[in-house]
Amino acid sequence: MKTLVVYCHPSRESFVAAVLDAALEGLREGGHEVRVTDLYADGFDPVFSAGDHAKHLAEDADRTDIARYIDDLRWCESLVLVYPTWWAGQPAMLKGWIDRVWVNDVAWKLPSGKRRLRPLLRSIHRITVVTTHGSSKFINALEGEGGKRTMTRALRVLCSRRCRTQWIAMYTVDTSTELQRAQFLHRVRLRLAA
Amino acid sequence: MRATVVLVHPSPTSFTHSCAAAAVRGLETAGHEVTTLDLYAMGFQPAMTDAERHAYHGDEPVLDPLVAESVAAVQGAEMLVFVYPTWWSGLPAMLKGWLEKTMLPGVAFVFDKRGKVRPGLQTVRHIVGISSYGSSRAYVKAINDNGRRTLLRALRLNTGWRTKRLWLPMYSVDGSTPERRNAFVAGVEKSMAAL
Repeated sequence: MKTLVVYCHPSRESFVAAVLDAALEGLREGGHEVRVTDLYADGFDPVFSAGDHAKHLAEDADRTDIARYIDDLRWCESLVLVYPTWWAGQPAMLKGWIDRVWVNDVAWKLPSGKRRLRPLLRSIHRITVVTTHGSSKFINALEGEGGKRTMTRALRVLCSRRCRTQWIAMYTVDTSTELQRAQFLHRVRLRLAA
Repeated sequence: MRATVVLVHPSPTSFTHSCAAAAVRGLETAGHEVTTLDLYAMGFQPAMTDAERHAYHGDEPVLDPLVAESVAAVQGAEMLVFVYPTWWSGLPAMLKGWLEKTMLPGVAFVFDKRGKVRPGLQTVRHIVGISSYGSSRAYVKAINDNGRRTLLRALRLNTGWRTKRLWLPMYSVDGSTPERRNAFVAGVEKSMAAL
């Protein structure tokens, strides 16, 4: 499958970077065609600006500044996000990618007179999230797993009607042992090769 | 009481700005001391950098003067008021990044002797969210309101257990009439004056 991997972590030596490598290895084993976006390495600007806001509902708005990201999103059939969960959700850098790239004419359309968005990313059949949490599964449940809902509900409805979602998460990563981390990397590789 | 209002919207003529102005008027009427952080006007940089990530667990995690200003506004505040538009069921990247960079160890939470996380925002008594949504209430409930959960649950866990929560949502803002919007803004001012 045509797979777009979006990776978000400021540091290349982090555990999340190792998770990305495991994911890419798995995808390679599975024979998928892969494109990788590294938001920090790209120096992506996550701020939805006044200019973005002005063309929010415009027809044929000029989006040359993010053309590459738009092209990748339209191209892919499977979307894989690799990031650390901070404050119960996606890091600002990744949220900014969602705010700025999942826009009018790319991810959705609002036909005039209608109040409901028409989804445009019908070619995406699978969303996979690979994430690490500092806190426990219990605390995340208490906080409502908001980051998970953003992906599996708010963004999923813009994709294929039959889009499947996968959530591959490691909790309490801050106090984890080397063995647990190695097991998680193994799990990521196997799940993505499938 | 000391109140900190965090305002997030790129356009100064937005509905969100009207709501924030009404909130500040209400709080001042009630005699509270208000500090406003207008993140877009400040030019806040929401993406945590590699250097900041490395300094995060150290003795001096604040590397950015705008973060220092935000930390000063949060420490000792008794009310935290967030005014923002909900995008993709969550906080705009600007506000999400502000939380990540301002709510640091030693500010929002502390580690006890056993390495467990304990609340650090002990002075906070009220967390208020004022947010506009493009979607209807039913849709937001079905899709789940991540921004609200982040502020009223995840952030609240870092305050004292008696912290009161107030949520003022304006649903279906895209198709709304000026009358409805004005009524909402008036309601915000009234609710804030009653705090």
